[in-house]
Amino acid sequence: MTNGPAVLVEGLGKTYPGGVRAVDGISFEVERGEFFGFLGPNGAGKTTTIKILATLLPKTEGRVEVAGLDVTRDPKAVRQAIGVALQEVGLDDLSKGRDFLELQGLLYGLSRAEARERAAELLELVGLSSVADRRVGSYSGGMRRRIDLAGALMHNPGVLFLDEPTTGLDPQSRIAVWEHLEELNARGVTIFLTTQHMDEADRLCRRLAIIDHGHLVAEGSPAALKAGVGGDIVHVAFNSDDSADDRVDAALAAVRDLPGIRQADFAERGLTATVSDGGAAAPAIMTAFQDANLSIANLSITRPSLDDVFLQHTGRQIRDSDADGDAEDRMWSQWMGVNRR
Amino acid sequence: MLILRESYFIYVRNLKTWLAQPWMIVAAVLSSAFMFLFFGEPLRGITALPGFPADDYQAFLAAMVIVMAVVFSGSDMAMVLLTDMMSGYVDKLLLSPVNRFSILLGTLLIGGTRAMAQVLAIILVASAIGVRFEGGVLGILGVIVATTLLGVAMGCVGLIVAMRTRSVQVTVNSWLLFMPLAFLTSAFMPRDLLTGWFQVAVGLNPIEYIMVAVRAVIIEGWVWDSILPGIWILLATTAVLVGAATYEYRRATN
Repeated sequence: MTNGPAVLVEGLGKTYPGGVRAVDGISFEVERGEFFGFLGPNGAGKTTTIKILATLLPKTEGRVEVAGLDVTRDPKAVRQAIGVALQEVGLDDLSKGRDFLELQGLLYGLSRAEARERAAELLELVGLSSVADRRVGSYSGGMRRRIDLAGALMHNPGVLFLDEPTTGLDPQSRIAVWEHLEELNARGVTIFLTTQHMDEADRLCRRLAIIDHGHLVAEGSPAALKAGVGGDIVHVAFNSDDSADDRVDAALAAVRDLPGIRQADFAERGLTATVSDGGAAAPAIMTAFQDANLSIANLSITRPSLDDVFLQHTGRQIRDSDADGDAEDRMWSQWMGVNRR
Repeated sequence: MLILRESYFIYVRNLKTWLAQPWMIVAAVLSSAFMFLFFGEPLRGITALPGFPADDYQAFLAAMVIVMAVVFSGSDMAMVLLTDMMSGYVDKLLLSPVNRFSILLGTLLIGGTRAMAQVLAIILVASAIGVRFEGGVLGILGVIVATTLLGVAMGCVGLIVAMRTRSVQVTVNSWLLFMPLAFLTSAFMPRDLLTGWFQVAVGLNPIEYIMVAVRAVIIEGWVWDSILPGIWILLATTAVLVGAATYEYRRATN
């Protein structure tokens, strides 16, 4: 590996044929050895960005260096330096787990003996030795992620790109994947991970960037980002069938006028407000709801989470964004002409 | 040569994928056996026509069964590639530092191998029902080599279809594209006995000349007047299609 940061992105933009702007001038850096999270809802530009970094997709403009190498000028060297596991993509269902790994090794220039040895080692690491000679198509979701991860590690890459490595996994499998990733990072592998799960980013990443609609909206350590929200979070769940109800708008307007309220937004049939002192603000918020004729189902006061960081920067909860999301996926399918999922 | 090493690895993977689907192989052999059974038997009497060049209709038909199987294998290759594109396996290969051309070569070679295996199976079936090969063992080898090459060429057409459309419905139905190539020929009846627009169309179909050459080797032996045009057309067609598939592949992976 040459000098420079693990990932350097300057003014990166991507416009798909047809004019959809998926990534709109983002810049960030990932240091060597870092565990970096790229956080955002579906369709925010995460997958496009990771595909550009991994040389799978050409960029429209900007400068991108991975492992000190320019992805456009020197794609082959970049490919040799990195390991990539995209969203449940690229598994060869008819191949046996062990054969899949050995072929990966051979394609990255390992000798047969090296590939055999490394495959056995990684099967052990990801806990798949007992099913190594079964076809990948027979693996469960968690096993598929783990064999894919092992495949990305065959050639000992210094930088690992993972696109939503735990999406769709049951809680136990998620934790197993997390533990493997933490172990790899502890051994010095730089990890660049995209996720739409705040808890995942919070647990794993030392630093993260939040992307929304192709723009970076925040960057920093999870602790610093949460501290940046400031104060407490008051969440009020109310009983109303329709969140577009006039009463809801009235309540929101009233809450926003209260003293000590920094931000208030609706999300998921409830209201989330950032306040300097939760205990002091709660009674006034309840009154505002009563005045608007809305009955409160539940009120909670918590310290900020990454969800609140996202809400603060985008005005939406990440889960809400899923509904209008998939724009990026749709566009990708359109470009490819196939439904990838 | 690094490209050869990489192509070989990808070829072996494709071979394993094919062998892991035994029904694909059974179906390929059965469909050819059915051709002899369902066309050869009822049309047996055609040999009595004045000017018909063979005494054994099954021997006449053997060339058609062989060439048609190989022509339609192009459609199978389209599906093979599309499956790998949709599962993302092609992306996985593109993410690795292998030469782009190795991936294409490993795929085209499997098209040739599948054609070769199928032709071998057809020759065994034909021998079993009593077809004699006038060209002898060398003739059989010649037919196998030629049809392997044709398998590569038809695989190119399949790959172009898959890469251009990236659509399951088009690719699954791409055998339609191969149908005129296979049937606008003297498959059932020598060209002299055909009439009208059909005879003209047959004369324009490159596959016809390849089929005539294969048939000559089977029913007449080494009749170079019938064989040579087939060889030139096969070589030219293969060269053009490999070129087109390479161009299309470059376009699709850049």
